[in-house]
Amino acid sequence: MTKRPVLKATTAAILLGVLSTQASADSTTRVALVPGGPHPYFAAWEQAGKDAARDFGLAAADYRVPQKWELSMQNQILESLVTQGYNAFLVFPGDPVGTVAIANELAGTGAPVLALAGCLQDPSEAKFCMGTDTGNSAYLGAKELLEVLGPGAKIAHFTGFLVDPNTQLRIDAVARAAEEAGAEVIQVIADIDAPEPAEEKINAYLAAHAGDVDGIITTAWVPAVVAANALRRIGDKRIKMVGIDHDEVVMNAIRDGYVHGTMLQNPYGQGYIGSFVADRLRSGCEVKADAPFKSIALTDKFIDSGTVFAGIDAVDNYVASMQAITAELMEGFEDTYLTCS
Amino acid sequence: MTQHITKSDWFGPFVVSVAAIIVVGILKPSFLTPFNIQILLLAISVNALVAFAQMVIIGIGQMNLSVGAIGGLAAISFAGMMEVWGLPWPIAAMLALAVGLLAGVLNGALVALTGVSAFVITLATLSVFKGINLGITEAQPFYEIPEAVKWIGNASLFGTIPLLFFPFAITAIALWYFLFRLPLGRTILAVGGNSHAAELSGISVPKAEIVAHAISGVLAAMAGIMLVARLELGQPSIGDDWLILSFAAPVIGGALLTGGRISVAGTCCGVVIIAIITQVLVLFNIDPFLVQVVLGLLILWAVGVNRLREIRGQRHVPGGAA
Repeated sequence: MTKRPVLKATTAAILLGVLSTQASADSTTRVALVPGGPHPYFAAWEQAGKDAARDFGLAAADYRVPQKWELSMQNQILESLVTQGYNAFLVFPGDPVGTVAIANELAGTGAPVLALAGCLQDPSEAKFCMGTDTGNSAYLGAKELLEVLGPGAKIAHFTGFLVDPNTQLRIDAVARAAEEAGAEVIQVIADIDAPEPAEEKINAYLAAHAGDVDGIITTAWVPAVVAANALRRIGDKRIKMVGIDHDEVVMNAIRDGYVHGTMLQNPYGQGYIGSFVADRLRSGCEVKADAPFKSIALTDKFIDSGTVFAGIDAVDNYVASMQAITAELMEGFEDTYLTCS
Repeated sequence: MTQHITKSDWFGPFVVSVAAIIVVGILKPSFLTPFNIQILLLAISVNALVAFAQMVIIGIGQMNLSVGAIGGLAAISFAGMMEVWGLPWPIAAMLALAVGLLAGVLNGALVALTGVSAFVITLATLSVFKGINLGITEAQPFYEIPEAVKWIGNASLFGTIPLLFFPFAITAIALWYFLFRLPLGRTILAVGGNSHAAELSGISVPKAEIVAHAISGVLAAMAGIMLVARLELGQPSIGDDWLILSFAAPVIGGALLTGGRISVAGTCCGVVIIAIITQVLVLFNIDPFLVQVVLGLLILWAVGVNRLREIRGQRHVPGGAA
């Protein structure tokens, strides 16, 4: 009893649209893709690793998940993977500062280390960080929501773990978008990126305040799913909602008119391109000193893996939207960011 | 009779629960709307089963750290068997309960046979059960939940009492009857109170431990199944958040962590208090960081009250510590 049909269909479809570039045949590169803990967001990394291994001839590109969101557990897995012969690491930092030490330790073994989906605090030995510009994604999502609501709207913001540094960035970004649009964020409910607290708090909020709020923005996976279900359950299409990511529940709610749209991220592209880059770095390429990285709060070596809004008109071809993001990033990545002799 | 009630373990938490409902209802009238009561009862129904799963183990003077992992494994087994194997939901539910039972028996047998602390054993099995969960799901939810299950998770009587309240209510009564009226239940409490004395009086301690863990596993599995119906999907992370709640509610309800003394009604009141606190923090737009602080303080208060009661009890026993 395992599951994968939807994920495989999605990622395979994305793959068809992604451009394969130079493959280093018979590479000895063994890439480990290690998230901070179990979360549906990272599931696309597994297929991305497999596809990258096949397309670029890597010895392996394996997805290894810590059982819990615990820094010590992630560190143990990473150390164990070194002894198992992995020689390139794509890591979602369990903690932007706490993970620096283990990242430097891994880099000390000669393995390229890339921070994926979340960044390490500079300075670190990570070659760069590739992920969603979370603040920008939240800002754009809020803009989409406020555009349909108009000025004077009152919105609620449901977001993720308080320990995640991205959460504060998202809260600030939504507040900024609201201020610019003359709207008001009347409540932020955080720390609900798990089913039970999300269910309890979002439903309690809607039970008490459904009449007071015009819109909802969610900037974490589980709150998006739970809020979409809650709006469907109470049958409320007056409250407009913009979610995040591509969970089936959210996509179906968009089709049925309970959710206005969602901000897609690109975890597949992160894993696929990250695996390719790790191999190139092991093959003698180096990151350009003058590469056009973006600066964010944590690092000056940031690459945006892309985000795009999918509303009712794009919900049935959201895969194409994700394909486009990945293909755009992949095309010219080597020329833009790497120097290969 | 009145004195008996006021001295019972559940009376204090019951008064606190009623007072909290009245105060919050006055300050925020939307708290007592039928829809909000339904939301509150739903949270209580599921959380009470989680708390019962731990309460039974506290009853034998042990701890079960794997309650959440068992609930999560049962939840994804239930959802997975319906989605992947196409099993009808009643059969899937029974098999998921069997998964919980099996996990509980495994915990109990390991504790009873090895003599190793339940804390260590369940810490290890937590990892095993969670690992199986992730191996099956690869951290992806099961989505194909039958409409009948979704309906059960969301339907209510008179728009106020959720259907999921009934499994909880029946379980609470059955558990009370089992623990306080049936010989097997009383042996669990006897073992928790003093395992050496229980053994000398002919009670099989290993049997009591295995039975307690088996019940705990089934209760955790029930909570997991109910959450799948409520959430309308089989999330692999179901159960990850249960640990603090599972200890807090029984302790607030008067349970002694040393074993032998637990209260079904008190645990229910503990669950109600926690649910009200959670709701209040949302309704009054209070900083979410505070929820952990308040819960921690509440546990400290409950443990303090219990300790005080224990000391008073000892003073009343001739020859007891004075």
